[in-house]
Amino acid sequence: MRIFRLSSLLSFLVLSVNLAFADVAEGEKLFNANCTSCHAINEKIVGPALKDVDKRHNEAWTIKWVKNSQAMVKSGDAEAVKVYNDNNQSVMTSFEALTDVQIKSILEYVKSGGPAPQTASVSGATNGSVSAAKSQDGFYSNTTFIALSVMALILFIIVFVLFKIKGTVEDLYNQKFPQEAIEEAKEKAANYKNSISYKLFKKHPVVGTIAVMLVFTVVLGLIGFDYANKEVGVQKGYMPTQPINYSHELHAGKYKINCQYCHSGADKSKQATVPSASTCMNCHAHVTAKEKYNGEISPEIKKIYAAVDWNPETRTYGTNQKPIKWIRIHNLPDHAYFNHAQHVKIGKVECQACHGPVETMKVVSQQRSLQMGWCINCHREAKVDVANNDYYEKLHGEMKKDGKPFVTVAQNGGLECGKCHY
Amino acid sequence: MENKNKYWKGLEELNNDPKFLQNKKNEFSEGIPLEEVLTEQDGELSSNRRDFLKYFGFSISAVALAACNKAPVKNVIPYVVKPENITPGVPNFYATTCGACSAGCSILVKTREGRPIKIEGNEESPLFKGGVCASGHASLLGLYDNERLRGPKAEGKDLDWNTLDAKVKDALVQSKNIRIVSGTVNSPSTKKVIAGFTSKYPSTKHISYEAVSNAAMIEANKKAFGKAVIPGYRFDHAKVIVSFGADFLGTWISPVEYTKQWVTNRKVNNDRTEMSRHYQFESNLSLTGSNADVRIPIKPSAEGVALISLYNKIASLAGAPVLSGAQNVEFAVNMIENSAKELWAAKGHSLVVSGSNNLDNQLLVNAINSLLGNIGTTIDLDNYSNQHQADDAAFESFVSEMNNGSIDAVIFFNSNPAYSYYNAKKFEDGLKKVALTVSTSESLDETGVLCKFHAPAHHYLESWNDAEPKVGYFGLSQPTISPVFNTRQAQDSFLKWADISTDYYTFIQNNWKSTILSGAVIFETAWNTSLHDGFYVAPAKTASTYNMSALPTEAVNPAYAAYTSSKDKVELSLYSKVGLGDGTHANNPWLQELPDPISKVCWDNYATIGKVTADKFNLKDGDVIKIATKNGMVENVPVLVQPGQANNTISIALGYGRSTGKVAKYVGKNVYPLASFTGTTFNYVSADVKVDKTGDDYELPQTQTHHTIEGRSLIREASLKEYIKDPQAGNNEHAHIISLWAERDSKGHKWGMAIDMNACTGCGSCVVSCNAENNVPVVGRKEVLNSREMHWIRIDRYYSFKDKDGKKSTKEKEYNNAANGTDFENVKVIFQPVMCQQCGHAPCETVCPVLATVHSSEGLNHMAYNRCVGTRYCANNCPYKVRRFNWFKYRENDKFDFNFNNDLGRMVINPDVTVRSRGVMEKCSFCVQRIQAGKLKAKLESRIVKDGDIKTACQQSCPSNAIVFGDMNDANSEISKLFNNDRSYVMLEEYNVQPAVTYLTKIRNTEEVIAGESKPKKHGHHEEHKHEEKHEEENAHMETEHHS
Repeated sequence: MRIFRLSSLLSFLVLSVNLAFADVAEGEKLFNANCTSCHAINEKIVGPALKDVDKRHNEAWTIKWVKNSQAMVKSGDAEAVKVYNDNNQSVMTSFEALTDVQIKSILEYVKSGGPAPQTASVSGATNGSVSAAKSQDGFYSNTTFIALSVMALILFIIVFVLFKIKGTVEDLYNQKFPQEAIEEAKEKAANYKNSISYKLFKKHPVVGTIAVMLVFTVVLGLIGFDYANKEVGVQKGYMPTQPINYSHELHAGKYKINCQYCHSGADKSKQATVPSASTCMNCHAHVTAKEKYNGEISPEIKKIYAAVDWNPETRTYGTNQKPIKWIRIHNLPDHAYFNHAQHVKIGKVECQACHGPVETMKVVSQQRSLQMGWCINCHREAKVDVANNDYYEKLHGEMKKDGKPFVTVAQNGGLECGKCHY
Repeated sequence: MENKNKYWKGLEELNNDPKFLQNKKNEFSEGIPLEEVLTEQDGELSSNRRDFLKYFGFSISAVALAACNKAPVKNVIPYVVKPENITPGVPNFYATTCGACSAGCSILVKTREGRPIKIEGNEESPLFKGGVCASGHASLLGLYDNERLRGPKAEGKDLDWNTLDAKVKDALVQSKNIRIVSGTVNSPSTKKVIAGFTSKYPSTKHISYEAVSNAAMIEANKKAFGKAVIPGYRFDHAKVIVSFGADFLGTWISPVEYTKQWVTNRKVNNDRTEMSRHYQFESNLSLTGSNADVRIPIKPSAEGVALISLYNKIASLAGAPVLSGAQNVEFAVNMIENSAKELWAAKGHSLVVSGSNNLDNQLLVNAINSLLGNIGTTIDLDNYSNQHQADDAAFESFVSEMNNGSIDAVIFFNSNPAYSYYNAKKFEDGLKKVALTVSTSESLDETGVLCKFHAPAHHYLESWNDAEPKVGYFGLSQPTISPVFNTRQAQDSFLKWADISTDYYTFIQNNWKSTILSGAVIFETAWNTSLHDGFYVAPAKTASTYNMSALPTEAVNPAYAAYTSSKDKVELSLYSKVGLGDGTHANNPWLQELPDPISKVCWDNYATIGKVTADKFNLKDGDVIKIATKNGMVENVPVLVQPGQANNTISIALGYGRSTGKVAKYVGKNVYPLASFTGTTFNYVSADVKVDKTGDDYELPQTQTHHTIEGRSLIREASLKEYIKDPQAGNNEHAHIISLWAERDSKGHKWGMAIDMNACTGCGSCVVSCNAENNVPVVGRKEVLNSREMHWIRIDRYYSFKDKDGKKSTKEKEYNNAANGTDFENVKVIFQPVMCQQCGHAPCETVCPVLATVHSSEGLNHMAYNRCVGTRYCANNCPYKVRRFNWFKYRENDKFDFNFNNDLGRMVINPDVTVRSRGVMEKCSFCVQRIQAGKLKAKLESRIVKDGDIKTACQQSCPSNAIVFGDMNDANSEISKLFNNDRSYVMLEEYNVQPAVTYLTKIRNTEEVIAGESKPKKHGHHEEHKHEEKHEEENAHMETEHHS
């Protein structure tokens, strides 16, 4: 329970920080949902790269364009016609449902430069140490930290100077009106006796010390807990850049491809398995997304072709095959045994229960902490599907005879060390 | 509980050696080297408390800093094109044939993600029945030997295969006299390949060479029956077995096959009270001898006369002519006469074998078997064995020819004579005169170093091959991994050099199509079935009887001459050890660390010597001697005083003292130079040995008295006679049980194990199997000396004295015996495998301060490594001493330069088992990963776990089926039945820790009194309780005695 409270407190802290950037965050969401099939910030996809769009066009024009570009082109707006022609006259979808504020948010997001550069890239794999969660979260970035420190320092100096000034002014006043000063000092002393600090530190020094220590412990504990979490490999939020910009949102979300079509090991093996490139080719021998790339094969799909050495012109395979080095997101420590088949096939746990709403993710990130407490919580609550499995039914029957029936995984020994650690 | 018999693990225990007593008192036999660290001289300053604090502070900050490492990026690299039958995370099993030795056992290879990680027995094989020996298990590690050659070489330089082939072919074409020197080739296709090579280069002769040869048997069968073969033996058909030095359960020809046969007549239960009777005449205590009912220690030179006497005794019983000119000899308690009588009574169902490589002796053995009518029943000359085919004389003349300069090309295939030939110098000199020398060995061995060309072969797990270990039994080998290096199968090399364009795989297929499977309706189906099964069995031929043409009268005089001339002289016999064998696998750390079944020494060979002889030469354990025979001399051999060793004999194991290989190098001494050639065969015994004490001392890494059990009763045994009278014989005293704890109720599963001590031969196969399954690290010689071996299962070997007069052998008598050393020749041996007993009331669990070891609802004692903080309280509180502590990080640590220290070697790691780190405790888990996998399989198939579904690693390939594992809550399971068996007992029952491992009493097929009077009362009767108290007093008395 304590862990739960601490982490909820923490997440509240983190959340409140994020609120300051709500504009951009909202914009990011909208951008990802609406724009990315044709636009990127730094590169031309179907539409132009959106970097510096605020400098190229004024905001009101842009909003109008987003809402209905074709109307503008037809109306003969010179700027609009130019953009239309510059981009091979491909028609931009109209987004009349978006409000002005929303479009502004998108623009704000574009201005912010899009997703922060992710250090956990393929090249990162070679140097072996890459900040996992830190790189993802603006709050933790080094520049922010330095800026905040500088600001804190300046504020501290100002406070210091102000106190100095106050002291000097009081001294001058006291010199001028010594009698009043004595009175005031008396009054101050009386007040002091009633003050909390007096009661705490002078009258009950033990209580005071404990209170201070308690505050310190809590604060340091919170910081330490957060730090330790990050440092022992709890990588919640880990979202590395994969060698292929593969979108689960597109495949699992939009096209509703069953998870196990690709992750075919999930119902029979320890590993869910990342599909072999040949599995991709089942579709991508035909699906090339040329329509989105001006008749060119999508550069991402080309990476699959490179891996399996497929020549789309001659439609033949070569022999120079190179496996794709995906970056593993969900890492369990080596001393924890986890079996997908047990959970997917027998426990009938939805993939999303552990991996989050993957079908909405353009880039997959780790959604759960994968800590033992998280496993245990589920084992405490998850019910064993006794009726539909002869193994459990027989076992359960035996145990029922002895008055030790089970419903949850935990009651069937699912919390025992050696069930996962051996 | 006090047993009537006294059991002891070693002489130090029996004699109450001061060092032994000191060690026994310590919590751990090894101390914590704190003192050493703190007082270590560091330059001029000695370390003190402040230094300690400094180090301490530094360590903490270092640890804190190290902990700041961020999680590394891990890649997940899928197949480009996934093979249909491979799912990462699900093991695949391939049936193949073991290539560790020429016995050719059928095995299954477990692969994960395309790499072999475990060898298992193929239970469907009618010949080997799922058994695998220790070297078979360990041969897996050979695949990941970092010292394997990476590709072809010529005169030390790397080159590609085409260039090598061109060069070799050029030289072959110019050669006028070519030799192929190989180990036993039992593969019909390989033979055909060599035949193809020979027809291309007609001057080629193929010479079979074995380091430890059985050529005399082949010669003797040729002479006696006109069949130059090693016969097929049927130990399962034999009611009486008499073996003269043949270690058929350990090292002789086909030990797994023979053990499976032998054990069928050794298991007794209430329905079956018949046992075979097994006599063993031998000089050094072998594995087989230690399992025999009657063991008679004899000198090697006495074997001939013993056989003659045996023949004559049987002949007179049969009314057949005796061997003339022979005076009979007899050994203790008329053992020749006794065995003769029993053999004759069981004629046609008896078997006499000899491990000697002496033609006369083997002829006498044939004569005896022929007289007993065993040919055609227990000895099958039609379905004979191809497992040993050495021709010693041919090799001897080959060496001479080389020295003559008449040979200009040699190809070595699966043989290493530069190491194992008795006269290595002569061999080396001869080889220098040969123009073309090619080695096909996997790594640079002693012979390879001398060769010009290296055409490194695949490891057998990368190869296609077939085998015909026994006539009509065809094994197939298939690759279980793509070749790791740029190597090529030797057979493919031969095909290339012979300009035969098919590859070896096609070659085998064609060969099977035209010969073995020629009768198949559809070849492909038959081939695929054989490949799937790993073997094909052709209809067996009927074993016909053969009669010996003439009596071996010529053997009489030499036998007596040898016997009389060496009467009081010390003789030497060379033997091979279980595991390491002839030394081929000496570079295998698993085998080096496997304690010898008898001496419990690892990482060394030594001269075993009887107590009487040792006293004569004033030798004790660890003394270093120089040993000289007329054949040669070996220096610096440590002495081990070995109970059971025949007086006036010394035995040393072959296979040590290799000069190549990181692991093998400098381990032990090479004693092949002490062998000789008799004119027909190689000879491994020498009469008249000179022994000189050098005065040096040497400590042997011996595990026998690590974890001593303070003389508590762990062993229960009875004679067959007693057992027939009372099935609970030897097992009828049970402790009065008081429990401190509430009873656990394990509903659902409750896993248990039963070990039949009557079946266990102590061969050590389970130990290596467990190493492979559970990622047990190798610790090396030095750490074994510190009692820090990591094996999860150990086989305790106890000695007890033979009871000759039918009375109980009392303690006093034994000490007297120990003092004057009279009966050390005649010891009884018993083996007891001990692993974590998975106690129901586990003492380790209650003392763990961090709950790292806890009980499961399935009756297992779980060990969570990451919780363990290394207090070692659990190991201290374990009454069975089965917990092992990781004193070091054994992987990626230069100090332990074994397989865990290089990338290739680590490929053998079982991905389902955690590799433990420094500072944590570990122990047998009952192969919990297999239990979990078995349960998962049942769940996936929506069924209950069937009995026999889940097999532990030690159980799976046990050559003697001694281990049974299963669910005790399943009333019909084999394990439940065994737990209720009359022979079943648990160790230290009086502690009431409720072990989940039960042992079945050892039953010896003898008449003597072992168990003593029976008190057929069970479980906590009042009288019993009193009895207990009395024994407690006795125990207390013993305690004081120990400490005095």
